[in-house]
Amino acid sequence: MAPQPTELLQGTLDVLILKTLAWAPRHGYGIAKWLEDTTDDALVVEEGSLYPALYRMERKGWIEAEWGMSELGRKAKFYALTSAGRAHLKEEIAAWRRFSVAVTKVLGSNGRV
Amino acid sequence: MAKLEFGRRLRQLWWRPSVADEVEAEVQFHLDMRIKELIARGLSPDAARAEAMARLGDGEAFRATLRRLGRERNTMRERHEWLAEFGQDVRYAFRSLRQQPGFTLTALATLAIGIGATTAIFSFLYSVVLRPLPIPEADRIVVVGDGNPQGPAWSVSVGNYIDYARETRVFERLGATHFANFNLNVDASPERVPGARADAAYFEVFRIPPAIGRTFSVEEDRPGANRVALLSDGLWRRRFGADAGVVGRTITIDGTAHQIIGVMPPTFSLGGEELWVPAAFTPQQQAKHDEHFLEVYGRLKSGVTVRQALADQDRIARQLATAFPLDNHGLTGAVEPLFAQYVGNAPERLGVLFGSVLVVLLIACVNVANLLLARGAARERELAVRAALGAGRRRIVRQLITENLVLALGAGILGIGLAWVAIKAMLVTAPRNLPRLDQAGLDGWVLAFAVAVSLGSVLVFGLMPAIRSTAGDLARTLREGAKGSSAAVSDWLRRGLVAAEVALALVLLVGAGLLIRTAIHLGRIDPGFRPDGVVTARVGLAQTAYPEWEQVTGAFERLHRELGQIPGVEAAGLSSQVPLGPGGGTNGLIREGMALAPENAIGSRLRLVTPGYLGTMRIPIVRGRDFTDEDRRGTTRVMIVSKGLAERAWPGQDPIGKRMACCEGTETDPMWKEVIGVAGDVRSGGIDQEAVPEFYLPVAQAPAEAWNWIQRTMTLAVRGRESAALTAGVRAAVRTVDPAVPVYGVATMGERIAQSMAQGRFNTRLLTTLGAVGLLLAAIGIYGVIGYFVARQRRELGIRVALGASAGRIRGLVLRQGLVPALIGVGVGVPGSLLLARLLGSQLRGVGPGDPVTFVTVALVLVGVAALATLGPARRATRVDPTTAMRDD
Repeated sequence: MAPQPTELLQGTLDVLILKTLAWAPRHGYGIAKWLEDTTDDALVVEEGSLYPALYRMERKGWIEAEWGMSELGRKAKFYALTSAGRAHLKEEIAAWRRFSVAVTKVLGSNGRV
Repeated sequence: MAKLEFGRRLRQLWWRPSVADEVEAEVQFHLDMRIKELIARGLSPDAARAEAMARLGDGEAFRATLRRLGRERNTMRERHEWLAEFGQDVRYAFRSLRQQPGFTLTALATLAIGIGATTAIFSFLYSVVLRPLPIPEADRIVVVGDGNPQGPAWSVSVGNYIDYARETRVFERLGATHFANFNLNVDASPERVPGARADAAYFEVFRIPPAIGRTFSVEEDRPGANRVALLSDGLWRRRFGADAGVVGRTITIDGTAHQIIGVMPPTFSLGGEELWVPAAFTPQQQAKHDEHFLEVYGRLKSGVTVRQALADQDRIARQLATAFPLDNHGLTGAVEPLFAQYVGNAPERLGVLFGSVLVVLLIACVNVANLLLARGAARERELAVRAALGAGRRRIVRQLITENLVLALGAGILGIGLAWVAIKAMLVTAPRNLPRLDQAGLDGWVLAFAVAVSLGSVLVFGLMPAIRSTAGDLARTLREGAKGSSAAVSDWLRRGLVAAEVALALVLLVGAGLLIRTAIHLGRIDPGFRPDGVVTARVGLAQTAYPEWEQVTGAFERLHRELGQIPGVEAAGLSSQVPLGPGGGTNGLIREGMALAPENAIGSRLRLVTPGYLGTMRIPIVRGRDFTDEDRRGTTRVMIVSKGLAERAWPGQDPIGKRMACCEGTETDPMWKEVIGVAGDVRSGGIDQEAVPEFYLPVAQAPAEAWNWIQRTMTLAVRGRESAALTAGVRAAVRTVDPAVPVYGVATMGERIAQSMAQGRFNTRLLTTLGAVGLLLAAIGIYGVIGYFVARQRRELGIRVALGASAGRIRGLVLRQGLVPALIGVGVGVPGSLLLARLLGSQLRGVGPGDPVTFVTVALVLVGVAALATLGPARRATRVDPTTAMRDD
């Protein structure tokens, strides 16, 4: 039986979206699909949180939306990382590294449970 | 980021959906993709659709959230873009202004002069007229007078005042005061101090509490109990070193000990009083209705208007006129807001100046508008390229306006600096009689005004050229090159601006011209006396030291003798009032043969003089003789009348030997006074004031009561060469008579004249300066426009020269381009000038507001200056080389 999908920590979704867009611009569905595929469905990104997050990040200036042609020849809204978004992503990744190292140290220590 | 933004904006040109459409399209796309994915995983189309929809949750709520977020995002983005564009515009403005330093400096200097001058005059207007009085609810405080059929008069008799206070239905409180100079003696050093006697209610009218101590109680405001005094802030600091424990100290006022009971704050001094003592009206004073000398102030009950107060005062005045028909003949009410009386005619005078300085500012704006038009023509190609690259017309207008804003604010900062200098410079020469003028400066409101004027000027000089330069046909501009197409279209605009400048300058110069003509006229007027070489000073005797008329007369006669002994003195005399000096009063004179009734009285100014006074002032005796030492009490009562009074009383007859009643006596014994001489008319109220009837009585025969009218105070006059030596001699002479009597108000007659003319000179000088600045700016404007025309018409002029046109013809052509709008400007400016001249009306003397000499001179000067301004460009035009002019484009 597959393990229960993990609930996302507050703010983590933003970082994941930025990371998703680090390679190339994608539309909303593409972002959701890529996240699901990459994590083997371990992360469930609900549309109810994904799209509002995209609009908010657009407002913050981390990402830019453009209307373009999708791979199937349909007009779709593509999101791309701005330089401000890229800078933010770098910061968040560094912060996440520090956090996870710290958590790992604690969890991997020899102290009795 | 900038690149991305540019890309996004380009794409938006293709499709810019509304937020609702955007959300719907995005959600629909998402659903379609999801359904496709689910079908590929093996679900039936219906099940796939249901699953995809279910994953959205409440579809409508989901869409609504996105729409709200989308709108928020758009608002934010627009604000961002606006700011970014504004920043861009500002940067661009700085760059393009820097690229044309000639234009920028000219425009900055022109505007700065306009803004600086306007700000300086506004600071005066604000300080004197607009700033409220430092009194709580000042709009409820009015001045109350005893009116008569000729109009309001602001001196009230004690009897009337007491009846007003008792009968009134409109005033919360009425208070009375009258100015008086006191001989103050603190620690044995005497000093003459301006002050007032005030009743207890006076302080309650203004509701300004004392800074220290208290004001008079009702008990202290009674005869015999009135040995208390209040100090002004100024006197407290000057003579008492701001000692907080001053209350309770004893000082000597007019020879009597008084106890200090309080100190008033600096805001409490309407007329410069430094000391107050209780009025303490005696029962005799309270019964008198015919001696009008009180200043009465009232605090209106809440909600009562000045008009209602006047109606109520009229009601009481009618009762008083019936009750005391002799004393209150024709008495009417008189009420005026304190503020109106305080600022007097300052609003009118400063208003004319402010209007004039606004005209200067307008000329400055028109000049800059002209510069911008010329610049706009040269930039047309640049703007056309920008428009072709996608900048909308609004965007370009905004860019140009931003440029103008930067220019205007820069000029505003320079202008505030100029205003600061101008205020300091003008305060040095400003007349003393404008209240609160010395408090003018660059405070918050004045600075706000300067910024508002700077921004407002953009609307005048910037908007039209900005719209103008984007109105042209894009394609044609690009095709025709830098010359531009709308240049020809806006020629009429330039000519219109030249005409406007000339018209505005005409208005200014006519105003200045009329004032200059007034000044010339006043300079030629014979004041009726010779001011050069005369030193005057005031001397007052205290009632306690000199209670009876014999003592007063004796002291002044002794002083007269001492003055004659001063080394270097040519002549000396005393008078209760010298021309342009303080003191004196008006009495009603009735000539022998008329009934002794008030309506037969001729109002005339009284002067008590010693023999020799008229000679000292060089007031000519045109008939009869001067007073001598033989004109004493007990001999025939004598008088000298002014020429005007003689003509009024006995037209066409010889007045010598005729008799008049005045100042004293009863119906049975009117104490007739015989005319022994006629003196020349004197312009006592000021060189610009017509002479009024005057009469002179010898000091030795002065009515005993008259010494109270003039508070035992006389002005002495000595004539000689060395005014410094005379002044020292005067002080020594007074010391010889009585060392406790202070000498004050020392001034040469020349100084008195200069001071009385200061206001007029100040206005004349300012308006002349403004006129000169306006003329200069207009000349620069005309020069610029005609120069531009010549530059643009090089080719045409070249062809004309090639076809054989003479230099004179070319010159004439250019000259006409400048003179035609100038003449139109003169035509338009004349009605405007008549309007200003009418406003100036009350300041003009010896010249009418429609004075043809001024108008013609000013028009000729303007046309002449316009012709001069076109001369340079015209000469350039005749030197156009046809071959080069036609070759280069």
